[in-house]
Formats: sequence, C-alpha cells, structure tokens
Amino acid sequence: MKNNKFVAAVLLPSFLFLFIFVIFPVIYGLGISLYDYNPANSKNVFLGAENYVRLLQDATFWKAVKNTFFFCVVAVVLNIAITLFLAELISHIRSGKIRVLFRAVLFIPCIAPMIGTSMIWKYGIVGTDGGLLNQILIFLGKGPKNWYLTEMPLMWIIIIYTLWADIGYNVILFTAGLSNIPKAFEEAAAIDGAGPLRRFFLVKLPLLGRTFAFVSIMTMANYFQMFAQFRVLAPKGGMHDSAMVLTNYIYRTSFQSFDMGYGAAIATGLFIIVFIVAMIQNQLMRVEWSYE
Amino acid sequence: MKKNLLRNGAICAGVAAMMLTGCSSASSDSQTTAAVSSAEETEAGNAAEETASEAAADGEKITLTFWCHQNEPWIKAYEAMADRFEEANPEYEVKVESYPFNVYNDKIQTALTAGTAGPDIIAVWGGMAPSFIKSDALSEVPEEMAKQLDEDYMQPTTGIYKKEGKYYGVPMEYNLEYGGMIVNKKLFDEAGLSYPTTWEELRETSKKVAKKNGDLVEMKGFEMIDSDALICNYLAMILQQGGQYLTEDGSVDFATPEGIKAMNEILSMVQDGEDDLQNLTEGEYEFNDVYQDKGYMSSVGSWAIGEGTDSYGLTYGTDFEYVKVPQYGSQMGFASETGWGLLVPKNGAHVDDAWKYVEFFSQPENLVQHNIACSQLPPRKSMLDNEVYKEAMPQVTFLLDILPSGQWMGPYNTSDMRDVFNQMFIDLCQTDAPDVEQALKDASAEITANCRISYEN
Repeated sequence: MKNNKFVAAVLLPSFLFLFIFVIFPVIYGLGISLYDYNPANSKNVFLGAENYVRLLQDATFWKAVKNTFFFCVVAVVLNIAITLFLAELISHIRSGKIRVLFRAVLFIPCIAPMIGTSMIWKYGIVGTDGGLLNQILIFLGKGPKNWYLTEMPLMWIIIIYTLWADIGYNVILFTAGLSNIPKAFEEAAAIDGAGPLRRFFLVKLPLLGRTFAFVSIMTMANYFQMFAQFRVLAPKGGMHDSAMVLTNYIYRTSFQSFDMGYGAAIATGLFIIVFIVAMIQNQLMRVEWSYE
Repeated sequence: MKKNLLRNGAICAGVAAMMLTGCSSASSDSQTTAAVSSAEETEAGNAAEETASEAAADGEKITLTFWCHQNEPWIKAYEAMADRFEEANPEYEVKVESYPFNVYNDKIQTALTAGTAGPDIIAVWGGMAPSFIKSDALSEVPEEMAKQLDEDYMQPTTGIYKKEGKYYGVPMEYNLEYGGMIVNKKLFDEAGLSYPTTWEELRETSKKVAKKNGDLVEMKGFEMIDSDALICNYLAMILQQGGQYLTEDGSVDFATPEGIKAMNEILSMVQDGEDDLQNLTEGEYEFNDVYQDKGYMSSVGSWAIGEGTDSYGLTYGTDFEYVKVPQYGSQMGFASETGWGLLVPKNGAHVDDAWKYVEFFSQPENLVQHNIACSQLPPRKSMLDNEVYKEAMPQVTFLLDILPSGQWMGPYNTSDMRDVFNQMFIDLCQTDAPDVEQALKDASAEITANCRISYEN
C-alpha cells in the first residue's frame, strides 16, 4: 500500500504532463474538427461531421495520404537497410577510436536543425542556378535542370535528404544492439560453416529483433510527421501536389488558410493512419525471447 | 489476447497521439486562450483602459506596442514614426516589435486569439488581411477616419479592409507591383543599349540580351515571372487592351480575347528564352537577378529600390535605376491589390489610444515621411501632388500619374488567387501546344469558387 502511494506520487507529474500536453490537446483537436474554427472568433459555428465529409471528397487530402505512405515506406525501408549495413560495418572496425569517429561523422547531420540543412539543400544542392546537382549535370555536358518542376525526382531528392539528415541516430541504435549480441552465437555459426552473409541474416538479425522493432516503429512514426524538409523544398506541395504530405497540408490549411477546423479534421485523419500503422507494426514485430 | 490487444491499442494510440499533438501543438496554445469568452475580453479591455487612464493621470506613460515584420528600412521608418508620435504626445511610449515575415502571420493569428496583452497596433499585408478581418477580433475604424478612407483614399488601397460597409484597417501605402521596373544600368551601359520605351522595344531588347542554358536563363532580359509580378503584369495587359477580367457578379474570367492574347504574350517570353520559371518555383523575387547582374530589367513595385540600396549596398543612378515599364496596350490600366495597412485588435489594452496613433500615422505630413522611407507609393489622393514626396522620390513620380487609373484587384484572397494562377502558368509552360483558353477558363472557375473572400464589402 505504502509502495503504491510512492509509485503514484512518482508517476503523477509525468501523467499530468502527458495529460496537459498530449491527451488534452488531442481531445481538443478532435473537438475543433467539428467546428468552422477560427480562434480569433468569439463564436465558432458547429458543423458536425461536415469537415470529415469534405475530407473524404478532398483530392488533395488523398494525394497527401498517398505521398505520405510512399515517403514513409520508401524512406523507412532505405533508412533501416542503410543504417543496418553501416552499423554492421562499424561493428567490424577493431579500433574503438575509429568506430567512434565514424559514428560521430554519421551523427553530425542529426544535430543540425532540419530547417537549416533543408535550406542548404534548397539553394546549395537542388537550386537551379548554381546547385550541386546542376553543377554535376553541367560537368557531364548537360544543361541545368529546374528540379522544382519535376514530380518524382523532387520526391526522391526529399527522401535522399531525409536519409542524409537522419541515419546517424539509427546507426547508433543498431551499433548498440549489435554490440549486445553475445559473440558466442556468431562464433558457433562460423564453426558450423556459415559465411558472413548467412551469419548476419540468419543469426545476428533475428537476435537484433528488439532493436529492430523499436527502430522501425519509431522511425515510421517519426517519418509520418516529417515536415521541415517538405516545407522548405516543396512549400506548396510541388508540381501537382506531387510532394504534398499530410503534415504540410495540415500546416497550409490551418496556418495559411486559417481553416483550423478542417486542419484539425486532416490531423485526425493522420492520427487514425498512424494508429493503424503502429498497431500493425506492434503486432508483427512482437519479440518473445531473451538471450538467457 | 483481448488484454494484449487493448495494451497494444493503447501503445499505438500513444504514438499516434504524440504525432497529432506534434502537428497541432501550435494551434492548441491558441485554442486554450480562445476559451476566453467575448464578455471576459470586453471586461479585461475595459479594465485595461481604466488602468491606462489612471496611468496617464499619474503622469506615467502609456505604452503602445506596434508589431511589424522584419525589413530593415521599414523598421527604421516605423521607429521614426514612433519617435515623432512620442514627441507630439509625450504621455505615450511606442514600442516597435518585429518578427520574421515567415512566422509573422501566425504570430498575428495567435495574438488576436489571446484574451489580452496582444499588440495594440499591427502592420499587416493586405493579401493576408482577409484572414484576420473575417474574424470578429478587430476593432472598427473610428467614424472620422472611416470618412477619410471613403473620401481621400484610392479605392484599391481600401478594398480589402471593408467588411459589410465598415472598415477594419487603414492603408499605409498604394501597393503597385506594376508600372515600374528595376534596370541594371551597368549592364545596359556595357551593352551600349538604352532603356526601352515601347513594348516592342522591350521585347526586342529582352530577346537580344537573354542567354539560355537548359532550364535556366543565365542572363535574363525582361523579368516578370515571380509570384508577385506575374499576375499583376498579366492583369494590366488585359486592362490596357480595354478588356476586363472581373464580371458584373464579381466572378473572374480570364478567358476573354484580351486575356488569351496577354497570356500568349507572356508564354512567348519563356518560349523565346527571355525569362524562366526559376524564381516562380523557388519563391524568389526576380529583381534580385538584376541586382546580381543576372538580369537586365525586372518589373516590380518601387519598394524594391530600398532592397537595392540597403540590402545589396548598390548605388541608385550608378548601379541601377527605376524606370517606367512600357505600356502593353493603347490605354493605361492596371489592377492593384490592397497593400500594407494598420489593424487595431479588439483585445488590445489601449484600443482608443491605438487609433489615436493610427490617425497620427495617417496624417499626410507623417505618412509621406513613412512612404518615402519605405519607398512606398502614397495611398491618399491628396498626396498625389505632395511636393515633399516628389522631391524625395523623383525616381517614382511617373507612377503618381498612373495611380488614378488603377482598379482594385477584386474581392479575392490574392495569395490563394496567385497559387492557382501561377500553377496554371507553370503547367502551360510545361505543355507542348497548350490549350490556353481552356487553362484560363479552368483557372478562372477555380479562383471564383475557392479564392473569394468570405465577407461582403
């Protein structure tokens, strides 16, 4: 009983924090999605489900859903593949100092604010006049290209930027996960004649299950809310909304058109999508074992 | 199993909830404050007014907070106006606070939402003003000033500030993105060319000097394809042919013979390699190319002169000049959207004092100093012959002559209108043998349906 009180006392501040800054805004957000909401108005008109009916008929919303899924699936898969590969490479480096150096180099873009690095990419890499991509084209004897007039290439540029900016964090997690796997498993497999690829895919990867599940769920949830690079590189959604994602659409609707009720309805749509995806991932990646 | 599902559901809801919070956190702040009822606001406002009066009686100064966006010459001008007001009214202190433009409108929205303690006066861009005017968070312009707005201000400058017969903002300038162009004097001198005086000369010079490489025009001739200048020049080209794009019921119709001809003319500038879509797609102003020796001429409002001298450190008359854009059609005409103006939020602590400041700001002898400092055009008819202005701004006096020929762009959210128009233009440029008439019809229908402001003038 005494112990319960202590636990409650310890948990209370966190619960209050979660309630004030997470649960209450979510409920409030759901509430305002039922209104023609402008916080500057003293009275807001109740619309019922009208915003949701509009959402279902909104072609831009469905395009944003499609783009968000495309971005998340491609970027998360590539992120995990690249970070696993790099983590495995780093784990084979014998010198501790060089291992730290590689991890630090890969982690540097994670420290820089995304809005700043996106701006550097916008002008320094993707820019029509003087951007690195066009300098390469000119070097290859071709004329400069306006990448902002493209559809799929611009989306791929944003994906590559995201990978560049974000892989360091997962490399650290995978490196830590790999270092926790007892060497005995790999050594036993080697004695049985398994090559490096088989040892990695059939021994190490299954044993990395918990880290893998954590990284994939968190990366997916994180990528669903990626915003800064879309806001900078495709502020209006790109050509024919080809790079319009839900977060940017929510921002545009709520803070540029000030149609906050509808913006909240789109945010609710995103909530439902993330909820379903997280639920599926959680079921698929359940891990029921330990090293002991 | 059921328990597991519930547990997993809770975890997933947590992840999703954190996302939703992340996406809507900015609005949630404002939502909380929105809970303050209008009755409470009035009460708080009255209490604040009383405090202000008491403060004045006690010899304490009343502090007015003035919000503006970050633009070096403009901030200096606002501060100079504040100093003049304080000198004339020693019982006041005016604090000028500036914010980056990309977050400025969000700041205004949040401030209007707050119960109290927001700014007393807000400088706002006319293109964004409808978003705030449609709310009931602004104080109505006092009767005497409203009378002046009707009688002495040119119609394009006041259009957007009028809601159901009442004014909710006072213009500081006549916003004109058509009529003048920044020219790179050095490039013209080096090429031994003189500034064009007719439309035909303009196109000829533009074609002669432009140099294209791939999608990029490395040296641009006549530039008018950025998010501001494109639609303004296009509308002027329609009106100068004697055409009209606003129908009697206020709808937009670009698909007239004049509209089609004007669009084909602009498209030919891209096809001929005189200009490209770089600035339109990257959200930059074209005049920057002229200041960076990458372009000869750029159509832009007179405010861009200050950018050349202050931001680029160039010398007017040596490096660049501001001259008349040759007329496209046989008669002068152009459309102008409402420019920068002043709003007074209802929830300010000193609403009456704020209007006193706006009134001071708007007096011709004060406003003229502000317009000069910001390279703006005066919004008042009585200022068209102002000698102080003409003496200080000889380079833009040619624009004063055409101001009375302007019409208001119309009851539209011009930011949204531009998005539709610019995308249509990009699509036309990207299509081989485009159906210009159909594209103009579609854009007109979309603008009429989705961009019209929600309140009646």
